[in-house]
Amino acid sequence: MLDPTIRWKDRPDLSLLNTEHPRVDAADKVTGRARFSHDMRLPGMVYARLVMIPASRATIEKLDLSQALATPGVVLAEPAEEDKTEVRYLGDDAVVAIICGVSPEAAQDGVRAVQIEWTPADNMLISEEQISEADAPKINRRGNLRESGEKGDVDDTNKALAAADVRVSATYSVPVQHHLCLETHGCVVDYNGGDEATVYASTQAVSGNPGSFARHLGLKSSQVRVVCQNMGGGFGAKFGIGLEGALACRAARQLERPVHLMLDRKAEFLMSGNRSGSRQAMSAGANKDGRIVALDVEAHKFGGTSGGALPTPPYMYLVEEAHAKIFTVHQALDGNRAMRAPGHPQASFAMESMVDELAYGIGMDPLEFRIKNLSDATHHRQLRRAAKEIGWDLHPNRTQPGNKPLQSNQRPEGSPAAPPGDHWREGIGFGVAHWGGGGHGGAKCEVRIDPDGSVTSSCAVQDLGTGSRTYVGTIVAEELGLGLNAVKARIGDSALPPGVASGGSVTTGSVAPAVQHAALLAREALEKVLEPVLGAMPGDYTFAAGRVFVTDAPAKSLSWQEACALLGRDPLVVLGDRKGELSEGGAHGSQAVRVAVNTRTGQIKVLDMVGIQSQGLVLNRLAVKSQINGGMVGALSYALFEQRVIDADFGNSLTANMEDYKIAGTKDIPRMRPLIDDEDKRPTVSGMAECTGVPGAGAIANAVFNACGARVRHLPLTPDRVLEALKDS
Amino acid sequence: MKNFDMALPNSVEEAAELLPKKIGDDSARLMAGGQDLLAEMKEYLVQPDLVVNLKSIPDLDRVVWGSDGSLELGALTTLATLENDERMAAQFPALVQAAASVASAQIRSSATVGGNLNQRPRCWYFRSEDYVCLKKGGTECFSYYGNNRYNAILGGGPSYIVHPSDLAPALVALSAEVQLVSPRGERTMSLEEFFVLPSEGDVLRETRIAADEIMTRIRIPAPAPGQRSVYVKFKERDSYDFALAAVALVLQTDGTKLESCRLVLGAVAPVPWRCTRTERKLAGRPLGEELAALAAQDALADAEPLSDNEYKIPLTRGLITEAFEALGAL
Repeated sequence: MLDPTIRWKDRPDLSLLNTEHPRVDAADKVTGRARFSHDMRLPGMVYARLVMIPASRATIEKLDLSQALATPGVVLAEPAEEDKTEVRYLGDDAVVAIICGVSPEAAQDGVRAVQIEWTPADNMLISEEQISEADAPKINRRGNLRESGEKGDVDDTNKALAAADVRVSATYSVPVQHHLCLETHGCVVDYNGGDEATVYASTQAVSGNPGSFARHLGLKSSQVRVVCQNMGGGFGAKFGIGLEGALACRAARQLERPVHLMLDRKAEFLMSGNRSGSRQAMSAGANKDGRIVALDVEAHKFGGTSGGALPTPPYMYLVEEAHAKIFTVHQALDGNRAMRAPGHPQASFAMESMVDELAYGIGMDPLEFRIKNLSDATHHRQLRRAAKEIGWDLHPNRTQPGNKPLQSNQRPEGSPAAPPGDHWREGIGFGVAHWGGGGHGGAKCEVRIDPDGSVTSSCAVQDLGTGSRTYVGTIVAEELGLGLNAVKARIGDSALPPGVASGGSVTTGSVAPAVQHAALLAREALEKVLEPVLGAMPGDYTFAAGRVFVTDAPAKSLSWQEACALLGRDPLVVLGDRKGELSEGGAHGSQAVRVAVNTRTGQIKVLDMVGIQSQGLVLNRLAVKSQINGGMVGALSYALFEQRVIDADFGNSLTANMEDYKIAGTKDIPRMRPLIDDEDKRPTVSGMAECTGVPGAGAIANAVFNACGARVRHLPLTPDRVLEALKDS
Repeated sequence: MKNFDMALPNSVEEAAELLPKKIGDDSARLMAGGQDLLAEMKEYLVQPDLVVNLKSIPDLDRVVWGSDGSLELGALTTLATLENDERMAAQFPALVQAAASVASAQIRSSATVGGNLNQRPRCWYFRSEDYVCLKKGGTECFSYYGNNRYNAILGGGPSYIVHPSDLAPALVALSAEVQLVSPRGERTMSLEEFFVLPSEGDVLRETRIAADEIMTRIRIPAPAPGQRSVYVKFKERDSYDFALAAVALVLQTDGTKLESCRLVLGAVAPVPWRCTRTERKLAGRPLGEELAALAAQDALADAEPLSDNEYKIPLTRGLITEAFEALGAL
């Protein structure tokens, strides 16, 4: 009988989902066959470059594009906006002109031929001193510094603080971090006049963007197709079309030629968003029994012209009395955008550090202290597992930092160890995270079975590199008993049934249920075709290993091809809808880190990272492990290296390139152990990516303290800061 | 980058004739491995009309061992060649360690000894076209008042760059000499003398090489009996980074006391910073922790940090200790 409930197969019955398999496009990506927006080459196409003023605030006295236009190969040189006379911040507002040329080199030569007379402003509005000056211009209507939220009772919190057994006051800060997408922002607008256009966009929202492009092309949404077959990272910064998208449309409309406008690396650093910085001044109290009894926080968010992101404290942990006041600091700089768990790594670094300080302050094992102050049993079991993996039980310094090198029997067999030498210390730190990621409605999926047995699964959803293309196919293959590559996944095209924007780790929770529903509908429709031939009712068939069986009479069976041939001449097409019961949010993650610290030089070597993650049913175990690895690598890079540096006098970035903006490289990556928490038996799917990047930075900082007593409260944990903290330890 | 012509000369003399006569005239530039020059051109720091490619000149990458154990490196010898040479690793460990510490394997396979010694500074103000700093003909060293965490703590002023070469401190410590050829003939000078402080000469450049001169060979004298050497580089990140500080140390001992040493610091001064006074103080002292502590103390005693780089003092001291330790002199 047909089972009316919409559900995933039980785990033991799965042959593709919940297994480890490479992404279907892996070979295309590593061999360079995969085509990105950047790779599009169209007949008659021109290349666009943007002209930017290298300052956060300036007056434009004169913009002369005549020499640019006279440059060989240049076909368009236009001001970015009419009568632009003022640059108000270093970001897209600093773009003053667009140049198009028949080659990238011609466009670049055109950029260099632009004559601009401009006067820098007296006050670049970068530093807190500058924005606070009495006559400082207002960056936005609401002022340069404003209170943006308050929660909790300050008097009750102060009383609880006063009564606490141990109090810690400390200020933590994190810098602005860039997304640093390997593929820069931009698009290729294929428009030759007329009433239709295709835009090859590097975007996290294929279905959501035709309208925006259409507006700038003077077309209707239905006349614009957005295509994104592959993208080189988005991380939250690629939802809208941006100024670059608008200018590309404008140029294409003007030239009636395809326009290729992908930002160059410098512009990518300057105008494509960032993770906001923060400074969090905290006072917290704990009692000797291990309870956090009070937390008072004054936080400042640094999001440039945008508001910055920070969840209201207390973050993750139970606190009996808490008060938080949050301020937004505006600077004349590119506004922050969503970035992989917006606000959470910032909050986590400060809170995990403070939790650690309290634990050591009362002389309690920081692992036990965490478990005592976390409400969720999932975190308790995950922390214990991560602790066991990293070797906490063998670690000699569980309630105070180390003061000598470890012995080999003080870490698990096979564990990476600090280099030899009396000046190296080794320590362990922890952190936890939680994320929603359950998804929402809107996505649809079409499954088509052709009489020759070929199967196509189609949804407009983009694949940011996370593996959505793979599961759009494998979910259907699983239900129809087919192999890994048997179902062709078509994605990344707004002409297909709608996907959702990829943000907040909602893609899987939104799209996978629609694919599963379509797969179930297709199976049911095919079973109706089988009924007159094999005699069983729909619902009484088993699809496995490329065959269809009558469940109770397996001798009655057809090969997949034979079954599909029964369709006659016409394909079978169904449209699945997102069914909420197939997904559920609530991803949990816990991480443990082992580091070595050179007490002579302040060098930190991360030796070992363990990340354990739960998210319900796993669609592809290898992809989930890759996400955990990616989150941990990102956190390591954030913890040790990354920071945007702005020269406040000149209002200009000193780190708008990949040499000075340092990110972790291969040699900086430790042993990484991504673990899937299979004790989460939920029969639902969820996104989980953002959860994985949250706890790492705090865990690393805590491991540094545990190693040698250097409490570094500011990211990145550069050697100068470690050496300074060592002096205080 | 701007379009340019490329010359493929057959001899050093021919190449030298193609070069401009004045420092600051960038109409023609030499290219060896191209790892620095091409980046400078892409960033529009230089826009030569003519690139003189030394690769077409035979034998400039030749490595010759003297019968006395000395070593002569053609200026176009790649860093990968040094990195993979076992005899060099045995005779001149500091040189090979310095070569192996540079950038990435890909870059080391193209980058040359001559190019490494003649590369331009990495200061972010210098490297950004947006800043016309003192070293680019401007009137100010922006790092002095600006963000100077990577800049000089020794020998700075009026420019506060640090010399970025890894080979330079190692080769200065190994008493290397360089051969320079110009239309006026050839000359030889010690590598130590080759580098010049901004206060000593033309702030636009880092060395004494003339505009139309070409570095052709680097000669390292045979190691003295019992000579040991080491290069210790500190990178902020392990992958692909320039030094925050580095130490090249060459020493001889009689087993109990230090007979002599050459101690050269990298990435802390506008030139490879030889600690001559410290070397003299150390000579004749017994090996051990006190010796290393004295070296670390004295070598940085004159450091004058800027607003953001005081950390380089303890960091470099730590590296000096590690260098002595690595040579078994602790």
